[in-house]
Amino acid sequence: MAELVYAAGIPHAPTLVGLFARAPAEVQKVVRDSCDALVQELEAARPDVLIVFANDHLTNSRISAYPDFLIGMAAEHSGPHEWFKPWIGCRDYTAKGDTAVAEALFRGMTRRGIRMNAERKNLNFDDNISVPTVLMDLDKRPVRVVPVLQNTTVPPYPDQRRCYAVGQALADLIRDDLPAGLRVGLIGSGGLSHEPGGSRYYFIDEEFDRWFLDLCCSGDHRRLLDELTIDRMEAAGSGGTSELLAWVVVMGAIGERPGRSFGYAIHKEFRCGIGAVSWSVNGHAAGRG
Amino acid sequence: MGLFDNFDPTLAAHDLVQDLKWDPELRQQFEKDEGSVLDRYALRPAERQAIEQRNFRKLYDLGFHPYLGGQLARLIYGNDVDGAIRAVNNLVASLNSKS
Repeated sequence: MAELVYAAGIPHAPTLVGLFARAPAEVQKVVRDSCDALVQELEAARPDVLIVFANDHLTNSRISAYPDFLIGMAAEHSGPHEWFKPWIGCRDYTAKGDTAVAEALFRGMTRRGIRMNAERKNLNFDDNISVPTVLMDLDKRPVRVVPVLQNTTVPPYPDQRRCYAVGQALADLIRDDLPAGLRVGLIGSGGLSHEPGGSRYYFIDEEFDRWFLDLCCSGDHRRLLDELTIDRMEAAGSGGTSELLAWVVVMGAIGERPGRSFGYAIHKEFRCGIGAVSWSVNGHAAGRG
Repeated sequence: MGLFDNFDPTLAAHDLVQDLKWDPELRQQFEKDEGSVLDRYALRPAERQAIEQRNFRKLYDLGFHPYLGGQLARLIYGNDVDGAIRAVNNLVASLNSKS
C-alpha cells in the first residue's frame, strides 16, 4: 500500500511567468503566497513521486486522434516545447520521471476500465506542466514526476463525474498497485476561469472563481459534482475553465476532505483567474477521507 | 451561441496549426510564403479565405477549434510575451466584428 501524502490544485496560466513582473504588487503577493505555501507543504510531505494531471493544449495530438488522458512514461521530462517557450517566457527544465509508476498507472487504469494512452518519448509540454514545474522548482527537488495530460477542450471530453470516477480509480490504484512505502503526491494543474481563443479572451469570472475555490475548500463533493457542470464552466470561460477537471480528478482520489486556499487574484492581463488549493492528506491511505 | 456549437473536427486547418507548432522549418516557410504552405492542406475555399483574410470570426463559424484559433493568431501576430498580446487583441477584434 502506497501512501498519499500531498494533494493540490494550481493554475498554470503562462502569464504567471511571462507577465509576472508587470503585475501589481497585490497580485504578485497572491501568486507568491500560494507558491510558497504549496512548496512548504510539499517539502513537509516529502513525496517520492508526483502524479500531475494537467490538460494538454492541443500540443501533442491531432484533433482527429485526441486522447482523453495521455501518460508520460519517459525517464525524464524536458520542457517547455520550443514553440511554447517564448510565449511562456520560462526557463528550460528537466524533471525526473518515474517509468515504473507511469507503467503501473497505465496498466492499472486499463484493468479498471479507464482508457488512457501512454507515451514513452518526452511529451511536448506547454504551460500545463512547465508553469508549475518552474514556479515550484519541481525539477530541482528529489521528487519524480509522472505527467498525465488530459483532454478538457476537444469535444466530447470526460465530464466532472467521469473525471471524479477516474480519481477514485486512481485512489484504488495507489492503494493496491503501487509499492508499499511509496509516498505519492497529486497535483491538478489548470484554471481558473479563462477563455483562450475566444471573444472573451480578457474575461475573468471572479464570482465563479471564488465560488469554485470555496467549494474545493468545503470538501462537499456532492455539490461539486452536481454543480460543476461543463455548461457552468463554459459560461465562466469557454474552452479554458474546464481545465479545472484536472482538480476534480485529484478530489476524486482524495475523497471528501476540506482544503485550504491561499487567496485569489484577478488581473486582466493574466487572462485567467488565479488561486490555488491544497488538501491535507498526509498520513492517510489514498481515497479514505 | 457557444464557441463549440459549430465545432468541426474535420477541418484541415486544425492540422495546419498543429504542423506549424511542431515543425520550425514549416513555420519559416509560412512566414516567407504563406500560400505555398496553405497549398499543402486540403482546405475548403472558405477555410483558406478566412485564414488569408485573418477572419477568425469566419473560421470559427466554419467550426475551427478556438484554442487552435488562439495559437494561429500567435503564429501570425507574434509568439513571445508581447507578441501574444498583439495576437489576442487582433483575434478578439476579429471575433467581435460583424463580417
